[in-house]
Amino acid sequence: MDERASAESGTCVDAAREPGAGVLLPRRSDLSGEVPTDTDVVIVGGGLAGCALAYFLATQGVELAVLERAELNREASGTNAGSFHFQIAIHQLTGAGADADRDRLLADVRLLVRAAAMWRDLERELRADLGVHVTGGLMVAETPEQLQILVTKQRIERDGGLDTEVLTGAELRNFAPYLAEDLAGASYCATEGYANPLLAAPAFAARAFEAGAAVRTYAPVERIEQLQDAGAARFAVHHARGKVRAHRVVNAAGAWAHELARGNGFELPLRAEGLHMNVTEPRDRLLVPLIQHIGRRLTLKQSSNGTFIVGGGWPARAEPWPARPSVRWSSVAGNAAVARRVVPALADVRVIHTWAGVWAASKDLLPVVGESARVPGYFTCVVPTGFTLGPLMASLLAGQMTGTSATLPSEYSPDRAPTLARGGARQGGPS
Amino acid sequence: MNGRREEEVGLLVVGGGPAGLVAAELAARHGLTVLLVDERATFGGQIYRQPGPGFVVRDPRRVGRDYWAGVALVEAARGAGVELRARTAVLSLRGTTAVCLTEGDEHVTLLRARRVLVAPGASDRPVPFPGWTLPGVVTAGGAQALVKASRVAPGTRVAFAGSGPLALAFPAQLRHLGVNVVLALEAGPAPRAPTVARLVVAGWGNAALLRDALTYRARLLGARVPLRYGRIVVRAEGEDRVEAVVHAAADADWRAIPDSEERLEVDTLCVGYGFVPSTELLRLAGCQFGYDENLGGLVVEVDAWQRTNVEGVLAAGDGTGVRGALVAMAQARLAALGAAADLGAVSRARAARLARPVRRQLAAKERFRRALLPLYAVGPGIYELATPETVVCRCEEVTLARLEEAMEATVDTDALKSYTRAGMGLCQGRSCQPQIGAVLARRTGAASEAGSLLDGANEARRPVPRLSGGQLAALAGTTPRPPVRPAAIGVLADDTVPDRGLFVGG
Ligand SMILES: Cc1cc2nc3c(=O)[nH]c(=O)nc-3n(C[C@H](O)[C@H](O)[C@H](O)COP(=O)(O)OP(=O)(O)OC[C@H]3O[C@@H](n4cnc5c(N)ncnc54)[C@H](O)[C@@H]3O)c2cc1C
Ligand SMILES: Cc1cc2nc3c(=O)[nH]c(=O)nc-3n(C[C@H](O)[C@H](O)[C@H](O)COP(=O)(O)OP(=O)(O)OC[C@H]3O[C@@H](n4cnc5c(N)ncnc54)[C@H](O)[C@@H]3O)c2cc1C
Repeated sequence: MDERASAESGTCVDAAREPGAGVLLPRRSDLSGEVPTDTDVVIVGGGLAGCALAYFLATQGVELAVLERAELNREASGTNAGSFHFQIAIHQLTGAGADADRDRLLADVRLLVRAAAMWRDLERELRADLGVHVTGGLMVAETPEQLQILVTKQRIERDGGLDTEVLTGAELRNFAPYLAEDLAGASYCATEGYANPLLAAPAFAARAFEAGAAVRTYAPVERIEQLQDAGAARFAVHHARGKVRAHRVVNAAGAWAHELARGNGFELPLRAEGLHMNVTEPRDRLLVPLIQHIGRRLTLKQSSNGTFIVGGGWPARAEPWPARPSVRWSSVAGNAAVARRVVPALADVRVIHTWAGVWAASKDLLPVVGESARVPGYFTCVVPTGFTLGPLMASLLAGQMTGTSATLPSEYSPDRAPTLARGGARQGGPS
Repeated sequence: MNGRREEEVGLLVVGGGPAGLVAAELAARHGLTVLLVDERATFGGQIYRQPGPGFVVRDPRRVGRDYWAGVALVEAARGAGVELRARTAVLSLRGTTAVCLTEGDEHVTLLRARRVLVAPGASDRPVPFPGWTLPGVVTAGGAQALVKASRVAPGTRVAFAGSGPLALAFPAQLRHLGVNVVLALEAGPAPRAPTVARLVVAGWGNAALLRDALTYRARLLGARVPLRYGRIVVRAEGEDRVEAVVHAAADADWRAIPDSEERLEVDTLCVGYGFVPSTELLRLAGCQFGYDENLGGLVVEVDAWQRTNVEGVLAAGDGTGVRGALVAMAQARLAALGAAADLGAVSRARAARLARPVRRQLAAKERFRRALLPLYAVGPGIYELATPETVVCRCEEVTLARLEEAMEATVDTDALKSYTRAGMGLCQGRSCQPQIGAVLARRTGAASEAGSLLDGANEARRPVPRLSGGQLAALAGTTPRPPVRPAAIGVLADDTVPDRGLFVGG
């Protein structure tokens, strides 16, 4: 217990606050350069998925261009909570963690373990401060039934190689005295934590640029034309600043990916949803780990500067781009209620700001990553828990595209029918 | 457990300054049910602010004309049947539904109104210069509030630096209340004969304003307060608090002229370079804005009845462009008549008739304001005082150098905010955004329309240019979000909101 409590005292500096502390940003003069007219790969979208993929491809010598319609990292990747969710989302997939889902959940665990390893090493790899904090994470249960799911989940995680444990009673209270006393229990995962979402994608973009990638902003892609008989170039990507011929294209357009795909005649198993977040005034350190709830919509953490970032999937009202989703008051009120329920000391902490972002959720909550059999050369890279898993999935896709690692499993195929998970994913997504 | 209270009302007035009080009273007299809320403990707004509770007026002559004007407005509103609710902040506004929070309440109140009049006033134009964050450097509005609400003097050797038609009012009032004002700086030029002549012509019908201005000037001169025109603050010096003010001669653009610096030891520097309208509720509601630096920057667009483009939402007073209390009250009358007519409480014809003298009065005031512009037009130099080491965002302690470094990566205000954290603190950008907007406008050069808006602000006769969404974002900062005032999780929490369970992310 003691090691856990002292694992992270929360004194690390937030990179964004510290001038010259290694924050790595691409330069505006570079981003506004000419867009090439011929290349091997065109990536559409400059969020975390697009920027990370550009990095992994460019460092393996692939010639490419990233086309972002506005600024880099201004949509989901720059508006998210930055949490690493390594504990499996078992509760979102089944009513009770049924055995039917075991294979899929085991596969999820193995992926998440790899993601944890990647994040642990990412600041070194990119030589940039990404504000990575490994704080541990708690998933709380309010009822005996929820606690039972945590127990089932812990076994699957153990079998898949992820270390978690279930805490109850005095043990939980000693470890996390700030939690409401009447909670049934919680599972703890020491490798969970968070990074600064404002820094991750820009750092990938800057390093990708160094490796020769043509990362360009204010180049919205209007359509992707499939060329019939044009030698190596299979596509002409039409964007606001001109046209680029490419051998392969990657749709990394996040919440707009399915719209882009429709232009080429296919449906991706994705939908776009607005999500709500809150941030409070800073307070003295109250808690170190990430906290989420197995049965209700809550994620919360106290960031390195003392503010509490509270979210958990409350909906925001969609608005046509470029407007951001607008905040629903009911989400402010509902999210605050769960936060107070779980951490009663938050009652007197003031919310100073809320915001909303839009993400792409797949109906089975699995990544939509791979090549479409229907349009050879057309790849998709959209990952629902995309901060946690985005860099890993991008590196796996890069491996597939360069032939250096295996083809991604069919579970992730963009061609899969847009249906629910085998066990029947709960329609928990906000609308 | 707790949910929220819900109420319905005909007209909700946000802000209990002159505009709000006058509109509320008039609307109530025309038969509307009116609720007026103000987040402060007392009503009257910036100018007619009443002393805090527990403050007993012993000598009515000392408290001044403004005090009694405030009392009269509050009494009139109450007499007309307006419900007045103090310490009640509007946290959110969507359409004509507002979320309010009364201090001490355990939960928020959802107010459904048929019409909402937003009259939130203005706050001091934040002007970053070296030393502006030192203790002892106070804003004119802040110092005035201190003196009016609690009768506390801000310091023992006070210098004033500022500009604008009302600027001299501050040192004059402070002096009048016994504060030792040792220097008053006005960035604009000394009034010259032609301007004065123009003022007299335009001032026809503005006698009271002219009289006030002259009284303030006379009071300062009478008290032998050195009054220096055409000089601007350059920096405040001091270790733990301000010990001296350095000022310099300013050119027509308010840029400091080299080798003209002077230094004076003070323990308080009071800064008043005008006001900026409080726009957060109107922006949150989705209103259309224009820009005019001389009106405080962002100004909401309203029609002849003070209606914004958002159905049911009206605006009046300094919050629609800083023009002072008299204009605010005239606008408030139009708003009240407009709302009453829209809701069928008076006929259109009668409203139009009642509005006629108000419109004449407004036209006269506008002529006067424009005549004053040569004296008080805000110079672009006001946003060029900060040096690289100057902290621009006080909440998150972000320097100008750091902002300029991040501008190598982006000139998008939201992205800039992400990279630097400027504007993310308690004040949510209220004190850094004008400076950041001006630097961005300068950087992006002539190509930027936002930039030309800032530079072109001196053209007195031009209508207020309308802003596109992008320009609004550049000048106003980031997307407005509720709550517009900090509010505790426990009060926001509503256990009756259904939680439909879970999904990944967030
Ligand atoms: C509020 C919120 C909280 C979240 N919290 C977490 C969390 O804590 N942990 C976690 O793991 N995940 C979280 N997520 C999910 C995560 O943020 C996303 O899954 C991830 O960022 C997706 O990255 P992306 O690059 O695919 O999408 P985006 O970042 O949205 O990037 C897509 C980009 O494509 C661009 N684009 C779109 N169309 C075009 C076009 N036609 N031409 C050119 N460019 C185009 C867009 O402008 C955008 O920049 C959260 C999401 C939200 C919204
Ligand atoms: C982790 C996180 C912490 C935040 N902390 C604060 C805060 O302390 N005070 C505050 O006023 N606002 C904070 N924000 C809100 C956000 O920065 C602003 O809302 C945004 O810059 C623009 O405002 P907006 O209303 O348009 O929000 P939206 O544009 O709806 O939200 C978008 C923005 O969230 C911002 N954001 C993403 N990650 C962070 C981060 N780690 N830190 C800060 N901003 C981030 C991104 O800039 C993103 O563009 C935070 C956001 C996040 C994600």
